[in-house]
Amino acid sequence: MQGSWNYRTLVAGGLTNAMLPLLRRIYAGDPVRLAAAVSRHLEPFNAHPYLCAMAVTALARLEATGVSPERIMRFRTALRAPLGAVGDELVWAGWRPFCALLAIVLFTLEGSPWVATLFFLLLYNVGHVYLRGWAFRRGWSAGFDVGKALQEAPWNGATHWLTVLNASLVGAAVVLVAWSTPATTLLRWEVVLALVAAAAVGYARPGLGERVAATLLIAAPVVLLFLGG
Amino acid sequence: MSELGVSVGLWAVLVVVGAALGLDAASWPQVMISRPIVAATIGGALLGDASSGFLVGAILELLGLGHTPYGAAVYPETGPAGLVAGAGLAASGGSGLGPLLLAVACGWIIGWVGAATVRLQRRINGYLVANLAAAAPYRLEWRHRMAMTIDALRAGALTAAFAVPVMILVKLVSGLPMGGAALPAASAVLLVAIALAGGVGVRVMGGGRIAPLLFGAGGAAAALLILLTG
Repeated sequence: MQGSWNYRTLVAGGLTNAMLPLLRRIYAGDPVRLAAAVSRHLEPFNAHPYLCAMAVTALARLEATGVSPERIMRFRTALRAPLGAVGDELVWAGWRPFCALLAIVLFTLEGSPWVATLFFLLLYNVGHVYLRGWAFRRGWSAGFDVGKALQEAPWNGATHWLTVLNASLVGAAVVLVAWSTPATTLLRWEVVLALVAAAAVGYARPGLGERVAATLLIAAPVVLLFLGG
Repeated sequence: MSELGVSVGLWAVLVVVGAALGLDAASWPQVMISRPIVAATIGGALLGDASSGFLVGAILELLGLGHTPYGAAVYPETGPAGLVAGAGLAASGGSGLGPLLLAVACGWIIGWVGAATVRLQRRINGYLVANLAAAAPYRLEWRHRMAMTIDALRAGALTAAFAVPVMILVKLVSGLPMGGAALPAASAVLLVAIALAGGVGVRVMGGGRIAPLLFGAGGAAAALLILLTG
């Protein structure tokens, strides 16, 4: 879907590419209307890549039922925000970190990198494939009612709980990963307090926190070279 | 290269895997083999130490929590970066704080170099696809595949450029004595970076006012588990 993502038309190339088999079927024997449909769907569009499947089938259904191009384009514009916001919150801020953090905790407790890696890939992709499949089917059956379908989506309560669980999992993962490194020789109560303060700085000022973390990591080789001997 | 345990064949495998991991991040199939915990584990395994690879990947994963790919956001490209960082640590023997720290730093830097190449790629995609409506709409499929091919080549080139230099660098640092102030300084850098990344991640992922409390509770539970299990 995002294979030709660009700053001018965003994900429109992928969306239209995914719609092409349906458009060819809908406008079979009418190359002029097919070209017009391809041209209008190459107009800028963006959404979460997994939920784009919903836009593909919903828009194709409107094309198939002879809805006017003007109404299709208005509907297409209205789809962008909900399909982007819902997908970003559910997948990028919720499901993906949840699966990754669980895998990290599993690795630190169980010790097998392959068990943790396969656990992550299997768990994540169960949700991933389900979401793409649901979006593809519901887009076609909903047509103009995509907004309603999103409101009634089976995962709606899950987004909140994923956020809550993720906050706890980050805390656990930070402690367990720190414990898994050779740096634990430094762990004393005063150091633990300093780390709590560092985490608080990261939370209160995320931009500053990230810059400090990156600077420390990049400066680390210099520290090692000068102090190593 | 032979002193690192890396043959030309293994380097070529790393490049091909790097290309596949780079492709996965956005182009296809987005099954998240491009995440650091997977990419670095593969890199480590190819050099004989998957566990070291996973540890590097876990730290890079925590560092990347604050970067969510919303809209046109720019974020570190984790596939080739994780692969090279994991391979770098495994090639050094996989133990020691210095090599771990350097592998993570290299992974973070390569991630941002990768981000710059992704931005360039997206500009090229604009020339490939954005003007297509007026020119030749039926060439879309071909141009879409061409954009994906360029993406894979870009990620492969990134891996090819950094794999051996990172392995050499991490191997060199693994030979340095970690005496004096080096060990506590390096330990402090790593622990503070992880703690900061955790705080940033919780803020960016949301969760409202109770998120810091939940973060603390999770950390306390993990600390208690460590104390109880030794």
